[in-house]
Amino acid sequence: MKTIKGTVIVLGDDVDTDQILPGYAMAEPFESLGNFAMAGVTGMNFSKIAEPGCILVAGRNFGCGSSREQAPIALKMAGVALIVAKGFARIFRRNSINIGLPVFAADIVDQLKTGDEITVDLENGEITWNGNSFSAPPLSDNVRKTLEYGGLIPRVRAELNIQ
Amino acid sequence: MNRIEKYLAKAANLEEVTHGQDITCQVSYVAAHDVTAPIAIKMFREIGVKQVFDPERVVLIVDHIYPAATEKARDGVWLMDDFAKEFGIKLYHRGQGVIHQLMYEKHRANPGELVVIADSHTCTCGGYGAIGIGVGSTEMAAAMATGRLDLEVPEVVQIHLTGELPANVFGKDLILYLGGIFGTDYLVDKGLILTGPGIENFSVAERMTVCNMGTEIGSMITLFGSTAREPDVAETREVDLSSLIPQIARPFSPANVVPVREVEGTPITQVVVGSCTNGRLNDMEQVVKAFKGRHVHPEVNTFVVPASVEILDQMEANGWCKIIRDAGATVLNPGCGSCFGAHEGLASARDVVVATTNRNFPGRMGSLKANIYLASPATAAASALTGKITVPRGEGAE
Repeated sequence: MKTIKGTVIVLGDDVDTDQILPGYAMAEPFESLGNFAMAGVTGMNFSKIAEPGCILVAGRNFGCGSSREQAPIALKMAGVALIVAKGFARIFRRNSINIGLPVFAADIVDQLKTGDEITVDLENGEITWNGNSFSAPPLSDNVRKTLEYGGLIPRVRAELNIQ
Repeated sequence: MNRIEKYLAKAANLEEVTHGQDITCQVSYVAAHDVTAPIAIKMFREIGVKQVFDPERVVLIVDHIYPAATEKARDGVWLMDDFAKEFGIKLYHRGQGVIHQLMYEKHRANPGELVVIADSHTCTCGGYGAIGIGVGSTEMAAAMATGRLDLEVPEVVQIHLTGELPANVFGKDLILYLGGIFGTDYLVDKGLILTGPGIENFSVAERMTVCNMGTEIGSMITLFGSTAREPDVAETREVDLSSLIPQIARPFSPANVVPVREVEGTPITQVVVGSCTNGRLNDMEQVVKAFKGRHVHPEVNTFVVPASVEILDQMEANGWCKIIRDAGATVLNPGCGSCFGAHEGLASARDVVVATTNRNFPGRMGSLKANIYLASPATAAASALTGKITVPRGEGAE
């Protein structure tokens, strides 16, 4: 969890939850949500370009819109290991952390292109690629704790002493 | 402390809180609907507790896809039905209405109490003074198990309202106007409180409309305060309501807002009045005032979707459904309708929609290319009559 290395897919500003997972796909079974990741973006064949362990890099207000947890679940199932964006909508950000998908706020979208490889140190807030580096505030202790448990459910189980 | 801090301090059983502080709050109600509940139920079962924190305080509501448009949607409802019976909690199904309206009608939290619903428009509760926190399914599942929610105390932006609202301007126009000022992310992780003598222009229903779209401008908590200014806020903006004119959000963002007159005359093909934003009786009244004795444009599909059975009952008692039907429009069953693009009036690439709903993202109501404009029921009804985006002229005078 501390350091994630992967190939980047670059996206723009205000990527909303209807783009990440359209309304018509919300009743799909949990297991097949990955097939609908980013289905609401014209001309983007996401499941073809997303490799296991890939990193999304986006602009401002990523995940704005609905509270649908199917959105980050679809991205995670499609292979996304981390999302780095200039900013996140609140509910999306919390949903991602709650399902164990790390998100990291840093404004690097203009410096990268799809296919670049980056390394993100979540604990120290350091992002490096091709000899470049960028510093951003590291994840809060609370968020890191949830991610270390693998999400909110295992954390709640531990806190309630459920074996 | 400002009002949000006071309420959060009370919910967290603390004397005092300040912005940036991480706290754990006791919640008053926890709820989910047919899109978010199935995953929440799965997550709740993974936690492995034997009961919900309080069966009287957990509510499940089928509003998004009723009647089921697909077998999969129906399977989700069965999952909710089984869960509700097993844990002894209340399930509203068979078209009772939209979650945020039913929570107001049937399970109304007191002012200052925390309501946690797995839906982004939970902020609607701010219209009646409760703190509505929209969450995802996993967080809802955790709250359903523990009766608690972790959050950080937000910085607060105050909107101080003065002046008298013109007759053709409504709560929807105010929140769209604020969207135009703030954009979609200025208020992320912040609270928004509306204060000032101007709040008296707005009924509780209108206040619910304003708060409903707080999430569209990123806000974490949206709340109506009192006529007095709030202390300890990060920022205050003044709005003179008497200078406000009807507003509309153009494709493809709820914050892409201009005065309606700037796009007046744009031909349209569909009108939707309803949703948790604008499906209440006062919204229906605007439609009826415009439609009475008139007919919608022959090229426009017009759907009117009451937010609850209680509202529909009242519409029928008032003879309003007949007026709407006689105008050539269709009254649909209470629920979310076509707002989120799963059923009941999807738009194709050729459609231009004026909706009173809350989002106009690409593909929100069907085709990625369908153009959706967001406006008040008065603007939507006036536009349905002319077949073009039209500035409402005030009571029944379109």
